[in-house]
Amino acid sequence: MSAVITVKSLSKAYRYARRRGGFFEAFSPEHVIVEAVAGVDFEIGAGERVAIIGPNGAGKSTTLKMLSGILEPSSGEASVLGLTPWKQRKALAYKIGVVFGQRSQLWGELPARESFALLRHIYDQEAAPFAKRLGELTERFALADLLDQPVHRMSLGQRMRCEITASLLHGPNLLFLDEPTIGLDVTAKAAIRDFIREHARDHGQTVLLTSHDTRDIELVCDRVIVVNQGRIVVDQPTDQLRRRFLGRKIITFQSAGQGVSLDLPGVTRRASEAHATILEVDTRLTRVEQVIAAALADGGIEDVTIEDPPMEEVIAEIYASTHAA
Amino acid sequence: MRRDLTAAAQALRIGAGQGLAGWTVLAGRCLFYVLIMTVLSALWDKVAAEPVAGAIPLPKGDLVLYVLATEWITLALPSVHLRFEDDIRSGGLEPHLLRPKFYLLQSLAQSLGGTLVRLAALGVTAVAWLAATGRAGPPPAAYPYLAVLGVLAVTVGMLLYATAGLCAFWARRILPFQLVIQKLMFLLGGLFAPISLYPDWLRKIGEVTPFAAHLYWAGIQALHPSGTMFLKAAAWQVLWIALLSLLCVALWRAGLAKVLREGGV
Repeated sequence: MSAVITVKSLSKAYRYARRRGGFFEAFSPEHVIVEAVAGVDFEIGAGERVAIIGPNGAGKSTTLKMLSGILEPSSGEASVLGLTPWKQRKALAYKIGVVFGQRSQLWGELPARESFALLRHIYDQEAAPFAKRLGELTERFALADLLDQPVHRMSLGQRMRCEITASLLHGPNLLFLDEPTIGLDVTAKAAIRDFIREHARDHGQTVLLTSHDTRDIELVCDRVIVVNQGRIVVDQPTDQLRRRFLGRKIITFQSAGQGVSLDLPGVTRRASEAHATILEVDTRLTRVEQVIAAALADGGIEDVTIEDPPMEEVIAEIYASTHAA
Repeated sequence: MRRDLTAAAQALRIGAGQGLAGWTVLAGRCLFYVLIMTVLSALWDKVAAEPVAGAIPLPKGDLVLYVLATEWITLALPSVHLRFEDDIRSGGLEPHLLRPKFYLLQSLAQSLGGTLVRLAALGVTAVAWLAATGRAGPPPAAYPYLAVLGVLAVTVGMLLYATAGLCAFWARRILPFQLVIQKLMFLLGGLFAPISLYPDWLRKIGEVTPFAAHLYWAGIQALHPSGTMFLKAAAWQVLWIALLSLLCVALWRAGLAKVLREGGV
């Protein structure tokens, strides 16, 4: 498999001015250097779908920005589709698609159709293949009713479908996705994940994704790079990571009376509050539905929520296990 | 280059479309134009009717026509500086940097598209206001001159404000820069009265500034249209468009280098 992305000893340090108290100190701020990415190395092959995960401030977005060419590294090398991103930003732009979950690349005041038409000219696309691609994406994403609606009037889920469409209209070989499902409801998340996975598989597209949501990683990516404090902690296939770290769920039962008490293998009780019992379930030993069925049989349940363990916990566990090793 | 211009032309077309789509805002702007012209014409009519002994002699002609032209240009200007400030300070620039086309050119072209629509609508309003008030308009020869100089004038004004907007790469707020430019437009540009009223030394300074290229040169054509003056005015405007474009590109490059190095502002 040929490498689409090659990263060698890539580092990025930011320099901040920290104000000190006092009048005269205000004129001589203290400068602090923060190492956001500290000498990472990895390769991504053509057609791979890779997730970079880590807690806030781990260096995920910084890495993505350097690889897409909008941030210069402090040191190290990177090659993306044969180009050095920060030196050949414009040439690279024709070959990559980028979606920032928290930033819109569309013109908010314009109908989506106008934004797409402008993007055709920005990416120098011929009319016929562009129209064909837009038609396919419109059908796949059920956008027909949205095309004439100004983007700022769309729901977040609708906007994200348009954002992903916009990032694919010029037929990029590589897709960068920074938190693509952030803030979306369950249905919208599922639609986005299905689409990214299927589109990448059908078009042999390489995907590099960052997310806080473990389901994004499990359902879209076949490889995971875990970063913490700017360094790669784990780089392994998703299946392996799932077996090791992602096979847990947090189930919270709200009850009017006493808390839920279950004796099932792999189910442990976490620090709980009055009328709320929080259980951690190892899904390799007991399935979620078994736990819920047992709790319902116990009686008095008013509400149930099922969550993944917080990413920070997963990372901490990974970090602890790699340090122990 | 040709593809860059094609994309810019598309952005200009979309900007014009946005200007038309926001017709209620455009109508409000035209009504405001009528309101301020009603006030300013009353003021200038009184000044012309009751000259004060010993006061500076006013230029020949109906000064209301001068103000009609300068306000026409001023009210057509886009808020391109606010757009730049917002994109730069909020990080909204990032998606634009991931595109193969020049953000500055695309943004300015889009802003100019909306400006041209406003210029046309306000121009029609000016003619309608003259007809409704029964006031004699500029000589017929002035109209083609004003059409060309008006477009060049709003381009100069847009680029002046663009320089203020690009200061957002270094300044937390661009309001001070905006206010300085705005006041200089009023004073050295001659918003309410031609700069020919100033002392000779100040007039000479004013005439060579971009502020005069933005307002004075077009305004004076509404009073005394002439081919020679038109060419002189257009030459000053084209010169300032070129110089301000270079300044904007220089600011953009310096600001972009900062963003690429530091990851934000």
